[in-house]
Amino acid sequence: MLTIEGVTKRFGEAVAVDKVELNIPEGQMVGIIGRSGAGKSTLLRMINRLIDPSEGNILFDGTDITALKGSALRRWNRDCAMIFQQFNLVPRLDVLTNVLLGRLNHKSTFASLAGLYSREERLMAIAMLERLGVVQSALQPAGTLSGGQQQRVAIARAMMQEPRVVLADEPIASLDPMNAKVVMDSLADINKRDGITVVTNLHTLDTARTYCERIIGMFEGRVVFDGTPAELTAAEARRLYGVQNEGFSEAMTSTSLSADEDERPAPMRPLPGNRADTQLAEERARALA
Amino acid sequence: MTASSTIRPADATGHRRADGPLVDRWESEIRKRRLYTALTVGLIALLTLASLIFANETNAGKFFDRLPYFFDFFGDLVPRDALEPVRALFDLPSPYDNGSFKYDYPMGRHDFIGTLYIPEYFMAMLETLNIAILSTLIGFTFGFLLCFLASRNLVRNFWLRGTVRRLMELLRAFPEIVIAGFFVAIMSLGPIPAIAAVAIHTIGALGKLFFETVENADMKADEGLRAAGASWVERVRFGIVPQVIPNFMSYTLLRLEINVRASTIIGAVGGGGIGELLRLSISRGHEAKTLAIVFLLFCTIVAVDQFSAWLRRRLIGDQAFAVA
Repeated sequence: MLTIEGVTKRFGEAVAVDKVELNIPEGQMVGIIGRSGAGKSTLLRMINRLIDPSEGNILFDGTDITALKGSALRRWNRDCAMIFQQFNLVPRLDVLTNVLLGRLNHKSTFASLAGLYSREERLMAIAMLERLGVVQSALQPAGTLSGGQQQRVAIARAMMQEPRVVLADEPIASLDPMNAKVVMDSLADINKRDGITVVTNLHTLDTARTYCERIIGMFEGRVVFDGTPAELTAAEARRLYGVQNEGFSEAMTSTSLSADEDERPAPMRPLPGNRADTQLAEERARALA
Repeated sequence: MTASSTIRPADATGHRRADGPLVDRWESEIRKRRLYTALTVGLIALLTLASLIFANETNAGKFFDRLPYFFDFFGDLVPRDALEPVRALFDLPSPYDNGSFKYDYPMGRHDFIGTLYIPEYFMAMLETLNIAILSTLIGFTFGFLLCFLASRNLVRNFWLRGTVRRLMELLRAFPEIVIAGFFVAIMSLGPIPAIAAVAIHTIGALGKLFFETVENADMKADEGLRAAGASWVERVRFGIVPQVIPNFMSYTLLRLEINVRASTIIGAVGGGGIGELLRLSISRGHEAKTLAIVFLLFCTIVAVDQFSAWLRRRLIGDQAFAVA
């Protein structure tokens, strides 16, 4: 049970997170939505203690994690794994080493500096890469992988920590629709099969609806919606994103691939009124030919 | 688009004319920047002129008055015949040998195997190279250990960071030759004070370059490890070191080149090696020996530069240009 009690975070004058109260039971899959700057990332970072709250407490199974220091704090970091939008792997180290880095907190500093990973840990890393479908790139430098593959490596590293909670900060925001689906499926699988609580920030409403049993909406640092996907009506969503009626439809920002995709008009067509670019392109093509 | 940044159609000369408060502000910024640039250039020119006049007046003889005598020194360096420097370089007997130090080339031979020997200057050059390599290694080791403690992105504690930085400044504040003079007085002549002196300066110099590299490192990898519960040492080792090591290597090899020159100079104040022999032969007027040493030094320094460039490519070339 993760309990957030009146947590506030200020950056100078600006209030990023404003007196947030939440209860997240174990094993829940939670999506946090809201506009950029609504405080979603700040909230996740405070849960993991990458940053400290200005006010309020965060409790996990009764332990006040906002008061942790030193090795106790690092143990909490381990129990509360984090997935980042930019993956945050070590680009020059190979994929397998990157995954094994998830074990750092399970061993002494000396053992990890000497590279003393046990056979079990190596097998565990390979199995995790296999489960996420990136085992074929295990010996490549992580920086040479595609975004979707890197994010799966990041999930494998998080799983090596044997966490109780997985936080994901916009895990699919820099991925294409197919990779986004693979990554979200992996997170859902972790949640279902391993029973790990997953809290994820999302940009796209339909992803939150599809994967999360509970959706939390934030606006200007406050929680303004907390309920099931069914309760998140279009009117609620408009309120959440602070838009008026016109010009807002979920499909515009959707990254999902639906069956009727073929019948939709192709989005990229030269606009009728703007012929200059097309003419220029045609002239260039003729000149080259 | 708002009215303030409207762009009028091109006028007759083909230039676009722009107006509005934003453009006005931009133009005034540009004007201000140009003014500052002009002022800075003017100030530098003025200071250069002033220091030239000062230098000319404080010298005993005027620069231009003494210029014709510049080549007298080279006149003194002409040997008795063209083969003399070669004999001096390889410790071969000289036909002019009269028992003086000037022509005693074979005296410096170092016995090797049987009748084979290592010529004196090659041995001394080797000693100088040895001083340079050893002190670069020592400098790298301590510079590496200290630099992470001096980086703003890794150490939040102002006092620790400040202390380490001041220590590095202290270590590189004095030129090698000053430290060497100090150590020669304590430890007597030989390569040990030279190594100590060059190493101390190298720690300070490399430490500074290293921590500036570390401060430029991408902290995303570090954040990822922090979120995995890694300790400070582990974060440095796995998050920072893989990123910065190519730059560290590059700086260290550059420092090796500098240290070869530095340990030559240090020989002249009693640090052993080729520098000492060079100083002696110049002051005694042994032109063939001087030429031999200068030639050997030139070849060695070119060779070290080429070698380190090659090594740098081999060590970091692939990684430095890889897409990260």
